[in-house]
Amino acid sequence: MCKNRFSAETVSKSSVDRLGDRLKNGDPIESDLRELDLYRRSAGTDYDRVITAIREMGYSVTGRPLKSTQSIIDKLRRESCRLTQMQDIAGCRVVVPDIKNQDEAVKALSERLPRASVIDRRKKPNFGYRAVHIIARCETMSVEIQIRTDAQHKWSELSEKLSDLKGIEVKYGGGSEQTRKLLTSSGNLIRDLEANEIQVTSIKDAIDRAVSTIGAATADSTASNQLKTSMEKLRQTSENLNKSILQRRLETLRLIDEYLNNPED
Amino acid sequence: MYFLLQYDRALGELASIDQYSDEQKEQAEEDRLSVELAHYRAKRSIEVVLLEAASRDALLNTHRRYFESVSSLGRLASS
Repeated sequence: MCKNRFSAETVSKSSVDRLGDRLKNGDPIESDLRELDLYRRSAGTDYDRVITAIREMGYSVTGRPLKSTQSIIDKLRRESCRLTQMQDIAGCRVVVPDIKNQDEAVKALSERLPRASVIDRRKKPNFGYRAVHIIARCETMSVEIQIRTDAQHKWSELSEKLSDLKGIEVKYGGGSEQTRKLLTSSGNLIRDLEANEIQVTSIKDAIDRAVSTIGAATADSTASNQLKTSMEKLRQTSENLNKSILQRRLETLRLIDEYLNNPED
Repeated sequence: MYFLLQYDRALGELASIDQYSDEQKEQAEEDRLSVELAHYRAKRSIEVVLLEAASRDALLNTHRRYFESVSSLGRLASS
């Protein structure tokens, strides 16, 4: 049960959305900030449960129990959602080493958390932003869990920092050509790194399967040929991707230097 | 533990950070509001953010943007 007096029992959805409209349409007054604070804090129990569940599963998580006022206002102005529809008033972030760990975390957490839905932004990046979000639909409010690989996270941090300095539009495909080029280049680098990981993992799995078949029947020449083919494919794939990644890395570093030494805006 | 951050978005600089124990969550939430209202009254555009992490290092790992420069984040993103 929520301890906060600003709960579903005492405050109607429409009054929360009217608050959202005031925040969206003009400068908030002090009573709006207090009201918003109470609304946010009504997610406290749900947030605590989600964080506890994630920690019990062994993940290191950083929580953000209350989305900042500026971020709420930015989102209300940017998107057509109402305040009561906002799914990330309370949220948290888990950073894992790679795609394999990300897939495992998404599966485990979406099974454990209540009425969870998964938004996979790796398949459909949002202006370069790649991650997986899980929305846990709790008793009072939804809680958003961002699951990022280390590489996705590094790109996001750069994008967010540039958006702090150059304007929120940077996160949504705007900003100067120089800023867009830098984010596109570093985003492509991360996309390639992760495509490399997926391809190498898939080829290694094929090699493991071939090795295990050979172990079961040493005279199986088909399996032996499959193994040779897979190993050659692995060598070629790694070589090609490493060249491509190195080029992207150098290009990104060049753009960063250009940005720092000769900023356009 | 909880961390109350005051961050100047336009400058990309962390103005201050205060730390609270798990037992001080309510105090941290109260302080978050007080600080936000103080900035509001003074017409200062400072973002006030409350975060929870196992340690300061864990916080640095997941929220570098508040602590590091574009240069440092850019080099990390290309590493």
